[in-house]
Amino acid sequence: MTSERAWDWVDGIARRLIHGAARRAPNSLSERLEEEWLADLAAQRGPIGRLRFALGCCWATNIIANEHVAVAALPAAASPMSHSQPLFTGRTITFVLVASLHAAVLYGLAMGLGPQFSKIIESPLTPRFIEPPPRSSLPPPPRPQISASRIDVPPNEAMPAIESDPTDGVEGTPREPQIPALPPSPPAAVNRVQGGPGVGFPSADDFYPDASIRKGEKGVATVSTCVDGKGRLTSEPTIIQSTGSKRLDEGALKLAKAGSGHYRATTEDGRPVDSCYPFRIRFDLRN
Amino acid sequence: MGKDRDVRMSLQTLKVLEAFLENPTDELSGAEVLQRCRLASGTLYPILLRLESAGWFVSRWESIDPSSAGRPRRRFYRLTPTGLRRASEVFAGFGRGVLA
Repeated sequence: MTSERAWDWVDGIARRLIHGAARRAPNSLSERLEEEWLADLAAQRGPIGRLRFALGCCWATNIIANEHVAVAALPAAASPMSHSQPLFTGRTITFVLVASLHAAVLYGLAMGLGPQFSKIIESPLTPRFIEPPPRSSLPPPPRPQISASRIDVPPNEAMPAIESDPTDGVEGTPREPQIPALPPSPPAAVNRVQGGPGVGFPSADDFYPDASIRKGEKGVATVSTCVDGKGRLTSEPTIIQSTGSKRLDEGALKLAKAGSGHYRATTEDGRPVDSCYPFRIRFDLRN
Repeated sequence: MGKDRDVRMSLQTLKVLEAFLENPTDELSGAEVLQRCRLASGTLYPILLRLESAGWFVSRWESIDPSSAGRPRRRFYRLTPTGLRRASEVFAGFGRGVLA
């Protein structure tokens, strides 16, 4: 029921619109257009269609009125040019209106708004540097100082005491194998000296994983390596005893691989031979 | 009325003329032309009046009594012989590729 009232209300608006539009039409056409449009309004489908029709009639009135004025002006015009071109067509009026609007805007900018713009521009321009945002909201934890990590070679019966190398940060790395004077052995016995990390072997500090440093992880890994007579790896090193941290174990393996060519070969009677031996890598943090 | 004058041709005007040329003797009301041409009422009625004042159309009221019919009379439009000839020329000009 309410919707029917609403539609009736819309139809009433449409009829009033047509009535008003017809009244604005030229007198000679007013009654005719109202009756004609009301009749055609009834033929439109739906209240929305009828409302749209009525709005169109309002627009039609403007056009008809303009053309009627132009046609009425024709007989009054004496010049032959005005016979084909009415003085004020809709296009002419629109053009004049648009041109007037442009002129008003330009005049306003030149007279009224211009000084305001110049005042704005007069203010000194100062560069403003925008600081780049921090990479993360939390500051990175301070990098702890790393103690000299050590690479320990397991003791060997035939191995002499190893001097530490204070320069490369790897403790227990012998600079040169020092063969002590051994007691005379039987002729059949072979004098075997097990190899280990040699001169130029990388420092464990360089392979300490950053994540492990931040988390304070430390430990000792025992790595097995197979080395030829020239101190080069002959197979992939493996972890024999883990540090307990996967990251540290990976760092230890990387260090063992990076040291290829810097291993000290095992010697038998002074001759370097291929061999496999374990050694330990210690990752430790200095407080 | 009845004066044979040139009419400014637009696409909408051509649509209206085409609707009448389908059956040149038929009389059509504005509502029927709206339905056939799918034009807005704000466009159609100025065209109808323009063509009528140029002598291409004539119009008459529907022969009913509005009080007994309970609705307003409709206005019917029909092509005049002049309008039929001029409209045919316009479309023939399009057929020759010449804008009339």
